[in-house]
Amino acid sequence: MSNEYIVEMKNITKTFPGVKALDNVSFHLKSGQVMALLGENGAGKSTLMKILSGVYTRDEGYLKIFGEEIKGNLTPKSAQELGVSIIHQELNMCAHLTVAENIFLGKEIHSKGLLKDKEMVKRSRAVLERLKIDINPKAIVGSLGVGQQQMVEIAKALESNAKVLIMDEPTSALTTKEIEDLFRIIREVKSRGCGIVYISHRLEELQHIVDYVTIMRDGKYIAEGEFKQLPMPKIISHMVGREITEQFPRVKTQRGKKIFSVKNLNAGRMVRNVSLEAYEGEILGIAGLMGAGRTETTRAIFGVDHKDSGEIIVQDEVVDISCPMDAIKHGIVLAPEDRKKDGLCTKLSVRENIALANLDELCNKSGVVNRKREKEIVEKAISNLKIKLPTSEVNAASLSGGNQQKVVVAKWLARNSKVVIFDEPTRGIDVAAKVEIYNIMNTLKQSGIAVIFVSSEMPEVLGVSDRIVVMCDGKVTGSLITEETNQEEILQLATKFENKID
Amino acid sequence: MNQKLESPYKRLLAIRGMGQVLTVTIGLIILCIVFGLMNPMFFSSRNVSNLLRQIAPILLIGIGQSYVLLIGQIDLSIGSVVGMSCMISATLMTRGVTPLAAVIITIICALMVGLVNGFLVAWCKLPSFIATLGTMTIARGIAQIANNNYNTDSIGEAAEGFRNFFYYGKSLGLYNTIWIALGLWLIFNFVLTRTRTGRHIYAVGSNIEAARLSGVSVVATTIKAYLVSSFVCCVVGLITTATSGMGTMDAGTSYELYAVAASVIGGVSTLGGQGLLFGTVIGASIWGVLQNGLQFAGAPIAIRNIVIGIIVVVSVLLDVIVRSNKGKSWKILKK
Repeated sequence: MSNEYIVEMKNITKTFPGVKALDNVSFHLKSGQVMALLGENGAGKSTLMKILSGVYTRDEGYLKIFGEEIKGNLTPKSAQELGVSIIHQELNMCAHLTVAENIFLGKEIHSKGLLKDKEMVKRSRAVLERLKIDINPKAIVGSLGVGQQQMVEIAKALESNAKVLIMDEPTSALTTKEIEDLFRIIREVKSRGCGIVYISHRLEELQHIVDYVTIMRDGKYIAEGEFKQLPMPKIISHMVGREITEQFPRVKTQRGKKIFSVKNLNAGRMVRNVSLEAYEGEILGIAGLMGAGRTETTRAIFGVDHKDSGEIIVQDEVVDISCPMDAIKHGIVLAPEDRKKDGLCTKLSVRENIALANLDELCNKSGVVNRKREKEIVEKAISNLKIKLPTSEVNAASLSGGNQQKVVVAKWLARNSKVVIFDEPTRGIDVAAKVEIYNIMNTLKQSGIAVIFVSSEMPEVLGVSDRIVVMCDGKVTGSLITEETNQEEILQLATKFENKID
Repeated sequence: MNQKLESPYKRLLAIRGMGQVLTVTIGLIILCIVFGLMNPMFFSSRNVSNLLRQIAPILLIGIGQSYVLLIGQIDLSIGSVVGMSCMISATLMTRGVTPLAAVIITIICALMVGLVNGFLVAWCKLPSFIATLGTMTIARGIAQIANNNYNTDSIGEAAEGFRNFFYYGKSLGLYNTIWIALGLWLIFNFVLTRTRTGRHIYAVGSNIEAARLSGVSVVATTIKAYLVSSFVCCVVGLITTATSGMGTMDAGTSYELYAVAASVIGGVSTLGGQGLLFGTVIGASIWGVLQNGLQFAGAPIAIRNIVIGIIVVVSVLLDVIVRSNKGKSWKILKK
């Protein structure tokens, strides 16, 4: 039994208007197997899994689940009934409902339409306990953290007797501790004979759980094999279609004078007494675990959130920043963490997005936009950053994650900024696009701009920045020179919590 | 012992959104006391009885709008469906149709509007604001065309039973209108809290994509919510006919907005997924008490409108402040 495929997909083709998203793709999964489905953004991984889970319908191809050939189209409901559950990248939970209500959503236990709440709570508690998840089934989902919500999603899938569990980028928003819990749960689920498809960009975490790898590129099947027999460089070259010579390109520049400093900044509970300095021609990394107060610090500096106290000094001059416009006027810009939520107007075109941050320079005195100048700076930004798009008139939402991130950056590069802050610029984008973002940072560094780079991924902080500030629980716990430190030291500083029992 | 005393209150608070309902209830009690002190006649059995009968229609349309708000949509056709039901039922009765048959035909006509609303919003994916703006105008047009652009004559002697059933008659010491509203509230509250349909309504309003991917039929759920809305509007239209004994073309004008006010004061979120029909009762009562109390206190209609408008805004503002964690909104207000 264990050698038989529980899912077989052959010659799957799917076309979206204008794009061939999947071209003749094959895919197999065995029970008790954790399969990593790898590929760059836009490689078609999510599309393939959405076909398997009934969210999309296939144009052509052969699909067999548990030995049963599926002739017609699947719907999310019929896929679930067959035992295929998907946990989407953007969690799909009803935030106002309780854990138990979410677990049984769409398959409520009832007699003649009357809900049996007590039984649903009881069974929810049972499935949560089985997975050793400590969550009250009566808790409101909106009050849980992202990590816990994800576990509720897994519990929901298992309660519906899922035998095939698909996880799309499950760890992208989790803390280290939560990732450990997730892996424990994945092993638990695997030991019950479920097949798991695991989509992730964080290649370094695969070794902890993955048995088998399938690699896709540009909508096509490329390779597969036992994870242990595929060395990482081989996997990466399959994914990007070429060898990546340098995962973390680094350029040497002469460090200039101090251009920007923050002194004793306080803003709420998550930013306490933060001080840091940035120099021209240098990348300052800010490392720490999720929830360490890094994003809050950048927001307070940029004037988005209210500051309780502290000084911000640009070029030896204390400046007053109470709203983002003040920060921009003083040459400080921020590429925020959540591209779709804070970084882009996703319903506007790329042109409009890039122009938005520069309207003060593009408009004449009566507020009319100079279309010619607008076009110039937009074209220049697109070619400088090598943003891949058909025209600058497409919606920002239609681009891939990497290209969206470049648009966020492009908004600011048309101005003469002195300090550029990147908050998690590489989250959820693929290896090749990451390298391009690093190169953009290096270019800025070379042109004498102070770059501040916030990231949760230790290797990239170590690989790209010149100096590193580590934060934990809203405080700066250490300031290090990159060449003289290592991952262990950063991790130690990042987990230096205050002793709560004095 | 102590625990036992606490538990009913705690159990009540454990219901989602009940905290806010209790806050508004305190507001309602204060309002009643203030009006009672201003004029002792406010608490006379005659006024209380009248007041409850005034609240009943607001409660009914409040139920309808709450259902639609809970799925994250809005129903602007409420007032027009009230007017349309009033005109259709009255026209039929003046032309000799028996009251029972007239009522049945009217209900069918009103449900058609609900069906169209639900279909346009859920199936054609029109924004509900636009779709129901359209049906609002159409339903008002039907109200006008029903009797060739005239209000109807008196519905006459034959309809005496009809008028007693919906408005003038009393059972167990209370006007029938109140019993109708109470009965429908009990039914629709039960549907919302205890049935699968109710659960799906909350789910669709909370996260439509999550609901769809969990196998909930968004189309069916949306249509059901709009059907409930048009049904209660129809009942209010029939009550209006019974009250005046004739059909008026502009009956129910602006009711859709009164319904939003009753829902929102009672804590139903305009963004969907959140709210209780308990809240709608309190919201409708505050609306009715203000109208009645201010009238009793001799305030002109203009002042009444201004006061009620302020109450709507303030109650939502308070809600926003309470919900924004750590009172951040206060800081915004201070600025």
